[in-house]
Amino acid sequence: MGLILQSVGFGLVTASVLAVASVGLTLQFGVTNYINFAYGTFLMLAAYLTWTLSVKAHLNFILAAAVACVLMGVIAVGVARTIFKHFVDRQAPLFYLLIVTFGLSLIVSNVIEAIWGPGFETYNLSVGTPLTLGPFSLTPTQLLIMGLAVVLMLGIHFMLTRTVLGKAMRAMSDNRDLAQVSGINTDRITMWTWFITGCLAGLAGIALTVTTVSFGPTSADSFLFVIFAAVILGGIGHPYGAMLGALVLGIITEVSAVVVSSAYKDDIAFVALIVVLLLRPQGLITSRGRA
Amino acid sequence: MGLILPYLATLMVFFFIYNIFTWGLNIQFGYAGVLDFTFITFVACGAYFAGVFALGPGSKQTGFEWILGLNWPFPIALLAGAAAAGILGLIIGLIAINRLRSDYMAIVTLAAGTVIYGLVSNFTPLFDGFDGLAGLTQPFSQILPLNSNQFTYLWVLVSGVVMVVCWFIAQRILNSPLGRTMRATRDDQDAADTFGKDTVRVRLIAMSMGAVLAGVGGALLMGFIGAFSPAGWTSGETFVVFAAMIVGGTGNNWGGVVGSFVVAVLINEATRYIPPIQADPTLIPTVRNMLIGASLIVVLWVRPQGIIPEARRRLYQLPLRPGKPPAAEVESA
Repeated sequence: MGLILQSVGFGLVTASVLAVASVGLTLQFGVTNYINFAYGTFLMLAAYLTWTLSVKAHLNFILAAAVACVLMGVIAVGVARTIFKHFVDRQAPLFYLLIVTFGLSLIVSNVIEAIWGPGFETYNLSVGTPLTLGPFSLTPTQLLIMGLAVVLMLGIHFMLTRTVLGKAMRAMSDNRDLAQVSGINTDRITMWTWFITGCLAGLAGIALTVTTVSFGPTSADSFLFVIFAAVILGGIGHPYGAMLGALVLGIITEVSAVVVSSAYKDDIAFVALIVVLLLRPQGLITSRGRA
Repeated sequence: MGLILPYLATLMVFFFIYNIFTWGLNIQFGYAGVLDFTFITFVACGAYFAGVFALGPGSKQTGFEWILGLNWPFPIALLAGAAAAGILGLIIGLIAINRLRSDYMAIVTLAAGTVIYGLVSNFTPLFDGFDGLAGLTQPFSQILPLNSNQFTYLWVLVSGVVMVVCWFIAQRILNSPLGRTMRATRDDQDAADTFGKDTVRVRLIAMSMGAVLAGVGGALLMGFIGAFSPAGWTSGETFVVFAAMIVGGTGNNWGGVVGSFVVAVLINEATRYIPPIQADPTLIPTVRNMLIGASLIVVLWVRPQGIIPEARRRLYQLPLRPGKPPAAEVESA
């Protein structure tokens, strides 16, 4: 029993990473209406940028992570402006965009492998002694990641409900044409969305690689579809749903690692994805708070 | 000179097998619009099942462990591989093509592929885990004892014959009423639904038939190489087939031939014989993959119809008087 409670604690950590990643993916989907299959490689690219900045350039880790996140946001905007925009503007079929992002993931992952090599890297971070809080035992880093995720989710909530940008994003995801005739600069909002999704992908990638300690170019490959599962579970395009989906999946995968076996974590996430698709393809949350 | 002929023969075998792959993916995507991001899983399914039907029994003691091990002749093993891939295609299709939008389909296929990859790599009793199947004796070696070069020439013939059969299957589907319904489903699912077509069933057939061709190609690969392991079907391999299909042109099988020659033979296979650069041995493979990814994007950008575009069919126009669009007639009437 204690082991299961302990795994719930790890589940909360996984859920925190997953929530950041899922909200980033679902926000972008809500505004642009297509899925970015290169999202997993965005996570890894930011992790490697952080590694270079902190280990090679000896920058403070927090600073390195922040710079890498902003860089990832800029890269996301750059990719969206140069490649995706071309297809969106010509109203290319959805298929094209999916294949283009799929092809982009191959390019980015190979750029990573060409620059950093296929081996595994680690950050020079001290793990810290685990703190015992009731049944949970978590390291300060894990607590920091959880705290950061909670603050970020609150931040996203305030952005969506209180700021002009957030309201414009919600309007666009509701009805793009209507938003445009209401005077919303959809191009600009789209680019801001890409910047935010890039930053969140970067943050999730760094948090993921900090929790897994060592990482290689393909570390986010199977995590990508846990992200998809969380996003679909919450209802694709709904940020609050994605948060909920991340919480559910994070705990399910970690608890199942104790109950079944950690080798079948991904399979459990896949089963959850299939059950959701068969029973409730529209997701848990459908109407309220769509972004 | 002694090396060039076997080398060209090897490339020829890969060309034939990739033709079969590209037509298979074309049936799924080009005909019916089913986005299958894990095509290589069906190839692997065909290769593995052909392998365990043709191989002798494995055992834990020797460290080679796999299911079945029936020692059956290769042609039957090939059919078994094809059938297994078709069934897997149907199963994944049943989950993916559940009146869902195309991005869900893509996610489910990708996720299913990742899970199957992990399962096959970790669960050794199935197909010997990460080490994979190995030690298949040359098919037909009892009737035709050949050295390895002669075997390569034999395999050009075998895969060529199988390829021609697959060509007829693919063309047959393309030009049949079923193929028309597939294209109608791809172009406008709602319209096809309205005309009473069972679009879910049609796409399931396309998914399964494409997987069958993938399985046939995989079985040929197994017979040619004699071994198959997870290293041979990483998710990156799906891109090669996708790039071949997109570059050549979707919705027609000649495009598949051109595409598999340009992408699979010239970019993917021929560059494997370039000696690795000492200072950076991963450079050539990574650049090759970048080229394949870039070819997908560039072709969709400048020429989305591919090198050989799909023939415009005029069945639906049927103008009563040539030269006048039917819409104008409706208005004047």
